[in-house]
Amino acid sequence: MKLEDAAYRLREFWGEFRKETNGLVGLGILVAAILAVVLEPWILPFPEASSRWRDITYWQDNSKSAPPAWTNLFTSRKSAVALTLWDSRIEDRNPGEKAYIFSYDYSFSRAPYDLLVRGEGSGTIPLTVTVRRPDGNAVEIIRYVLQDLAGQTFRLSFANEGRSNALEFLRRAERPENSSLIATMSYGVPEILFSKAEPDFVKGPKPLTGRYEIEVTAGFTDARASLEHLEIVVVGRVSGILGTDSMKRDIFSGVVAGLKWALLIGLLTSIVSVLVGVFYGITAAYFGGRVDSVLMLIFDYFISLPVLPILIVFSAVYKPSIWTIIAALILFFWVGPVKTVRSMALQIKEETYIEAAKALGAGHGRIIFRHMAPLLIPYSFASMALAVPGAIVYESSVSLLGLGDATIVTWGQILHDALGSGAVLSGLWWWVVPPGLLIAVMGMTFAFLGFAMDKILHPKLKTR
Amino acid sequence: MSETILQVKNLKLYYHTSKGAVKALDDVSFDLKTGETLGLVGESGCGKTTMGTGLLRMPSPPGRYEGGQILVEGRDILPLPEREIRKDIRWEKVSMVFQGAMNCLTPVYTIGKQMMETLQEHRSMDKAEAQDLIKEYLGYVGLPADVTSRYPHELSGGMKQRVVIATALFLKPRLVILDEPTTALDVIVQAQIINLLKKLKKTFDLSFIFITHDLALEAEVSDRICVMYAGKIAELGTNEQIYGRSGPAHPYTERLLAATPRLRRKVESLSFIPGTPPDLITPPEGCRFHPRCHKVYDRCRVEEPPVREIEPGHLAACWRCFE
Amino acid sequence: MYKWYAIKRILKGVAMYALLMFTFSALFNTVSETTLQGQIEEQVRQESQRLRNMKSEQIRAFQIDRREQLYKLYKLDRPWSERVISRAVNALTFKFGRSTIIKTQKGEREVIKIIMEALPRSMLLFTTTIVFEIFFGIWLGLKKAQRPGGSLDKSTSFITMVVYGLPSWWLGMMLIMVFVYGVKLFPSGGLHSVPTPEGILKVLDLIWHMILPMLTLLLIGFWSLGFVVRNIVLGILQEDYIMSARARGIPENKVLFGHTMRTAAPPLITMSLLSLLASISGSIIFEGIFSWPGLGNLYWIAIQQNDIPVLLADLSITTGIYQAGLVFLDLTYGFLDPRIKIGGKA
Repeated sequence: MKLEDAAYRLREFWGEFRKETNGLVGLGILVAAILAVVLEPWILPFPEASSRWRDITYWQDNSKSAPPAWTNLFTSRKSAVALTLWDSRIEDRNPGEKAYIFSYDYSFSRAPYDLLVRGEGSGTIPLTVTVRRPDGNAVEIIRYVLQDLAGQTFRLSFANEGRSNALEFLRRAERPENSSLIATMSYGVPEILFSKAEPDFVKGPKPLTGRYEIEVTAGFTDARASLEHLEIVVVGRVSGILGTDSMKRDIFSGVVAGLKWALLIGLLTSIVSVLVGVFYGITAAYFGGRVDSVLMLIFDYFISLPVLPILIVFSAVYKPSIWTIIAALILFFWVGPVKTVRSMALQIKEETYIEAAKALGAGHGRIIFRHMAPLLIPYSFASMALAVPGAIVYESSVSLLGLGDATIVTWGQILHDALGSGAVLSGLWWWVVPPGLLIAVMGMTFAFLGFAMDKILHPKLKTR
Repeated sequence: MSETILQVKNLKLYYHTSKGAVKALDDVSFDLKTGETLGLVGESGCGKTTMGTGLLRMPSPPGRYEGGQILVEGRDILPLPEREIRKDIRWEKVSMVFQGAMNCLTPVYTIGKQMMETLQEHRSMDKAEAQDLIKEYLGYVGLPADVTSRYPHELSGGMKQRVVIATALFLKPRLVILDEPTTALDVIVQAQIINLLKKLKKTFDLSFIFITHDLALEAEVSDRICVMYAGKIAELGTNEQIYGRSGPAHPYTERLLAATPRLRRKVESLSFIPGTPPDLITPPEGCRFHPRCHKVYDRCRVEEPPVREIEPGHLAACWRCFE
Repeated sequence: MYKWYAIKRILKGVAMYALLMFTFSALFNTVSETTLQGQIEEQVRQESQRLRNMKSEQIRAFQIDRREQLYKLYKLDRPWSERVISRAVNALTFKFGRSTIIKTQKGEREVIKIIMEALPRSMLLFTTTIVFEIFFGIWLGLKKAQRPGGSLDKSTSFITMVVYGLPSWWLGMMLIMVFVYGVKLFPSGGLHSVPTPEGILKVLDLIWHMILPMLTLLLIGFWSLGFVVRNIVLGILQEDYIMSARARGIPENKVLFGHTMRTAAPPLITMSLLSLLASISGSIIFEGIFSWPGLGNLYWIAIQQNDIPVLLADLSITTGIYQAGLVFLDLTYGFLDPRIKIGGKA
């Protein structure tokens, strides 16, 4: 098959393919997916999501089971969105003191779960964190001394370290009669900081919107002292594009990270297994007789094997990696195209040009690879596309049961965690919907592609 | 008494494909009398098969009638509702023996069931009467009665063709259209079928439209020959007028005849018609045959010749012939 | 002639079944072995931890001894092939034994009873669904074939592609979230409510529990059958014999339902029968999502508990029924399609 022939065929194919709207949609989605995989490091809010999915420390500053940020569009009482404040104004105060001032515009009705001061430091540094509210009050919320750091990260939580100061601030604003209720109230430091400081706070705080300034004053009396990457983390009630799960992991990152695995599993399994199946079918048809009978017996055996039960046993015992899962899937999927290819090859075999080639002395290999395969390869592309969704679903089924490759993130695994944490019961839809939806969308994409290709490349059916 | 049983007037049938309208039949007119066999010849794609199903008012999709009339016993069948055509015309007055009888019988029903079904659709007769009729007609085509319990795949090509012929006849139509009835059969069986057809025609006083590309066969069976080219009639004349000593009028017919090898003549070189059949979506300007004609001159390239009578009973569409 | 063919085919079916049983037996033996080995190691380690006054060589010697002892106890010292074969032979002769962990509702431990309890439940859900799917699928396919390229055809083909890769268990999860916890229309799973009502109410209660899972399955499975039927029927409608039948004056509905459907019957019936047979095995994950105690769910429970007798029996029944179905189809195909005469005829 010369290059010009191939190029011509491709152009002809593309001319036909362009007319299939569904196929084009599928192609478009596939291209977008590949782009997403390539651009992953830049798209992900948490770039190391893939490798550190099970590392609790990576996710510890997120909120737990938080709905996506955009759900605020649909509620009347807006929840505080997860945010990290990087930028700060630096002012020099009394000698040896620097103030880092962060601006925070707050317009929510429901306060964040917590705020954190985070940074890297060396030496011994006393820190004071003051919150200047839009109503003019300045609350000194945290007083803490970082002891003998050696370049590590430190975290200070407002809810923990600032509790006593916040309560004191509240008592000053509240009615004396209500002070007993303060101890039992369900409102914490964030509510105190971000609500109007007025009487009857305990009965229902009212949000205080406006510009807040959070000032972190650090003392650099220690010669070795240094402070870097200082930031304020707002642990929001809603977070990210797809929210977080019960382990505080950003679901959007997880889902995008899983995309590459889905594509890998789907494409690798389908390409290899269809190639094997096509050549198996051609061989059976070409050699006929005994060879065909034996090959078909083997085929009957493999096609009678129940895929999921065996995959489960296999995975339960051997704790497989993604590559072994792919290998196992190939072992089941190769049977797919065999019957059709075999009958097509049988028809081709009867063609006179095959007889002619044999008469001219062509060997088996030549006839198979030069004369028969090129006719069937186009059809096999359609077959490959249509096999991808199946492979993706099987892997996600195995992962859903908790038997997948534990070193990577796949959509099935995210769903496994969701099920295990009772996401369905608790109505954490943002955890359950996206991974499965993407499985379905990938399936749909390859179905569009595969059926469009099948329509054009399948030699049989006339009216479509 | 010979009456005109079929009149085709300015018939147009186009196939509307995604690439354009294929003008398969473009203003075709002819007559047919009782007891006459009209042969329809031409290259592949000239429109002769379209004519077959077209006359039954069953154009293959995406075909549509674009004009003209088909008068069966004086009645135009084109505007009739489907119900009426099925009741009165199709298989009652006009029946058809299809090309490739190999595949004309439903493989999962027995011969008997299919014949019985056809019969009972058109006539109300009880089973015994129907079975007798079927047996009778199978006898006419030389088949034993037990063929009715067989499935189509159990019969040979020739036997299947005979079944199809019997089914086309047993409602006693006036006109039978035969579309390449012997093309898929070997010569011996072909001869048998042709003899059978001749006999039946005489017995039942039938008219035939015999469609084929085999000129020698046409010469044997037809009274008149209609030569078609590119969806139009090129020439129409009696057997004698076309094949006779004076030779045909239209250059295309001339070349067709020349291309048929003769058994008793020396053949020095094989003659053929240069070029390829024309594109029916955008046919050539003027006379459709002009790009391949050996007698072409300027007028042919510009003006399309009408079908005109050049001698009594002999029609042609060629500027050369009108001189 | 037919008799010879029949005998050969049945033998081939039995041989295939036996081969599959050996495969499963080997597979499960590996499961049990690896887990047993793990358990034995664990036990040996725990026991040796409790030993106080021994030197390290003595401890090691003890471990080796103890390991050997346990291996003998659990028959791990016998050659592997022996275990695989004996297990397979037992399964083939339907001696399924008893389960160590799983019980039926009545508390019985015989594996055969456990399987037989779960089987009808899977059938109730999945086979019923398949029956509906077949009916609606054929109806839809016919309608689509009558107007190919029309709006019904295009839209249903579109839906077929959209749901092509949709996992039924995920759709189940979605529908549960909406209709069980959202709108509280249906129960969250299981066969019956607790406490189970009596009489006619029991039947209605069962149906109420069946609706959501069945709906989930139908929403996905219905379209593809319609698509396949449509293609088969369309292929036939283009054949010359259909045009010939119409030319002969056969009315359209007889052409469609008589000639066309009768010719389409062999592949359609084959497909339907195979779908029915496959449905018996239930679905491991789907049943789990809906807490449906069928064969699929049983498999999963058995895996988690390493209950090999149940696993082997589960697969034995489902594979056996399917293979028997294949043999049956091969033997009777000649009745469906007169063009295929099994064993040859003059």
